[in-house]
Amino acid sequence: MAEISWGKTTQPQAAAQPKIASQVKMMVGIGLLIAAVAYLIISGTSSGARYFITVDEIVRDSQYVGQTVRISGAVIGDTIVYDSQNLIIDFTIANIPEETSDLAATLHNVVNDPSSSRLRIHIENQVMPDLLQHEAQAILTGTLGADGVFYATELLLKCPSRYEEAVPGQINGSA
Amino acid sequence: MLAEIGLFATFFAFLTAIYGAAVSLYGERFARSEALVLSGRNAALLTAVLLTVGVGALQIAILTQQYQIAYVWAVSNPQMPTFFRFTALWGSQAGSLLFWSFLMGLFTAICVLLNWRGQRRLMPYAVTFMLLTVAFFIGLLLFFENPFDRWWVIPSNPVEQQVVRAALMPAGALEPDPIALAQTAQGLNPLLRHFGMAIHPPMLYLGFVGFIIPFAFAMAALASGDLSTNWLKITRRWTLVAWLFLTLGLLLGGRWAYDVLGWGGYWGWDPVENAAFLPWLVGTAFLHSAMIQEKRGMLKTWNMFLIIGTFSAVIFGTFATRSGLVDSVHSFARSPIGFPMFAFWFISTIIAVYLILWRRSRGELRDENAFTSVFSRESLFVLNNVVFVALFIAVFWGSFGAPIASELFLNTDITLGQDYFMRVTPPLFAALYILMGVAPISAWGVTALSSMGRTLVIPVGLTLASLLLFFLTGTRDALALFAYGIVLLAGWVALVETVRGLQARQRVHKESPLSSLRALYTRNPRRYGGYLIHFGVTVIGLGVIGSTLFQQETQQTLSAGQSLQIGGYTLRYDALFNGQIAEDGRVMDIAQLSLIRDGQTLATLRPRRDFFPQTEGMNTMTIAAAHSTLENDFYVLLVDWNEINANAATFKVYINPLINLIWWGGIILIIGTLIAAWPREILPARVRQEMQVSGLARKGA
Repeated sequence: MAEISWGKTTQPQAAAQPKIASQVKMMVGIGLLIAAVAYLIISGTSSGARYFITVDEIVRDSQYVGQTVRISGAVIGDTIVYDSQNLIIDFTIANIPEETSDLAATLHNVVNDPSSSRLRIHIENQVMPDLLQHEAQAILTGTLGADGVFYATELLLKCPSRYEEAVPGQINGSA
Repeated sequence: MLAEIGLFATFFAFLTAIYGAAVSLYGERFARSEALVLSGRNAALLTAVLLTVGVGALQIAILTQQYQIAYVWAVSNPQMPTFFRFTALWGSQAGSLLFWSFLMGLFTAICVLLNWRGQRRLMPYAVTFMLLTVAFFIGLLLFFENPFDRWWVIPSNPVEQQVVRAALMPAGALEPDPIALAQTAQGLNPLLRHFGMAIHPPMLYLGFVGFIIPFAFAMAALASGDLSTNWLKITRRWTLVAWLFLTLGLLLGGRWAYDVLGWGGYWGWDPVENAAFLPWLVGTAFLHSAMIQEKRGMLKTWNMFLIIGTFSAVIFGTFATRSGLVDSVHSFARSPIGFPMFAFWFISTIIAVYLILWRRSRGELRDENAFTSVFSRESLFVLNNVVFVALFIAVFWGSFGAPIASELFLNTDITLGQDYFMRVTPPLFAALYILMGVAPISAWGVTALSSMGRTLVIPVGLTLASLLLFFLTGTRDALALFAYGIVLLAGWVALVETVRGLQARQRVHKESPLSSLRALYTRNPRRYGGYLIHFGVTVIGLGVIGSTLFQQETQQTLSAGQSLQIGGYTLRYDALFNGQIAEDGRVMDIAQLSLIRDGQTLATLRPRRDFFPQTEGMNTMTIAAAHSTLENDFYVLLVDWNEINANAATFKVYINPLINLIWWGGIILIIGTLIAAWPREILPARVRQEMQVSGLARKGA
């Protein structure tokens, strides 16, 4: 492979004089471009930023009412009500503590713990996702209404570690 | 038995990789011993062989259903069809790490075999860097995620903890009952049972792994002091091949999402998608700026940074995806490999940056030419690079930077959603398309604006003509027309330039247009292959604009015989067939609909819902049906139905205009890349002879 030359090579123009003026122009151009990109990123960040908060925080603190935020919680399977004619889903999620080592176990625990904070979710124009089921982790973007219901516009689901950490049940050994 | 073979082969591969890396470096740099360097070379080859044995053992274990191996138990079950038994090899973390190491080992061996004689000076260093990477990945799987772990039963333990997982038999353990294990085996995640998902991961891995080779050579150049453009020339084809696979991987991933995830889209700016897109962005920038270094001896430091950036993005992407760093639909479960991966990424990046700065401070990376004109091709390439890097930064910031920074410094979690990406990226993509239209017709050194204007007349004319077509067929939105315009211009420039090349050839040679075209592609594959890639990217761009700006959707509940209307189409619900059992045990509920336009039935669509009775957790899957034409996709999802009499069912319908251009553009792009990367050996004998003669002449001079 090494012996091969790569296509036609255009010979560099003989001793092209570096023109300072055009280098300056180039730098100014790139500078302007960088400024434009920086503006884009900053304005995009300020309009697109979503605070990721816990169910605990949103339930406790009224400052979040009306603000667009992202929350994550454990789906409680029995509460899922799906109106397939109008594509409206209602369900309740339970708070997931911030520090968790085994997410699957945590999801299982909080769903079964009546003392964990809960939040009712309402989402419209949403086809029932296959992953929306008991003990899934839901990540939602939306706003908390004054009625205490979270009106979500975006729903992301994870079924963690089902495939990773499962252990076979009772099995008999044989020597 | 297979588990032991695999485990020991992989373990020895770990040792040979470390040995090879050490003796290559020591032999070349310090001991100056040819014997040691050759030993390192052989160790690289042996590593590949051992990893092949390791992967082979795991693959055979999956195929022969050895459920006592925990990995086999987790990714397959007795009902699974054979095809998915092959793909289950990379269906989960541990197996995919092994597969990744195997590919990396294989690439290292191929690289050694191909380039050893020609690049004797760089090779020992390159081998060191490649084998260190291989060793790191093998270490990860051996010490953190072992695919050869087995289930054991320890009867003396309390009932709850009798089943344990270990690589080697623990004291007092018994082998578990294979029949019971087979019954509880998990099977591949239903979402992954799709053709696109079957080949999407290996494509991405090939792309990722492929980019490690140019990185290793860049590092070898820095370490050895051979800072000519040699390393670029050797790795150019590797880079193109890596780029090809990465592009394919991204396209297939999009296709999979579109077919399987059932939301009518193909790209969601999800952190994990972005993690694979990031190396593509820097890698593409590198492909372009490498040309400037080859032709003009400029941008030497910049290219080093780009290739290191690509490697860094690959490792960071792998780390981000697999460590559970970000919330995403795709991410693997939280895993202990997070910290070691982060450490590897950090240390390798630091070493790379240090080497560059060191060589630079010694003045060894000085450019041979300076920029002479703002409108020279090299300046436009630099601009292209700046835009690619800007996109990289914007996407990185949106997916990882902002969430991580907010957590570190503001003690809050901030994430940026789709609206961030939809605001920041379109202007940058637009800039890239404009550059794609202008740069190919600019000249090296200085471009006369007047000649550039003349060259642009025909493509601009063709662009306006095509825009008129869009206008007449109903596109009235000014922004959309502008977007179509800049994308079309890039494509027309590529086509017109190819035709010009063809005409020039025809003037000189008496030959048929077809053989002229062949000659164009074989004699100057990089330029004309590149144009074809640009044309493919244009076609993709049209598809993206059409499907993003003009998507229509509706949902409705229909009784059998009823219809809904959308976008000039009529969709009639004919019947529901529920409880159909497929070969692999899934239960399918299938709706049958007729798609009608202008009184003619275009197609019978069968969207369905699959239920996997054997699978725990996620066990249903909504599978869309689509009627695909170049004009659009008519995409139907079966949302719900009345269980009892199956009389009424709810459907969600999307019309995605031009979406199939994305896949067709992808195919064009792949053909272009193959042309650009194809080995020269297929050239006609005459051309080869000429090359040899000129090569001899050069040597003699």
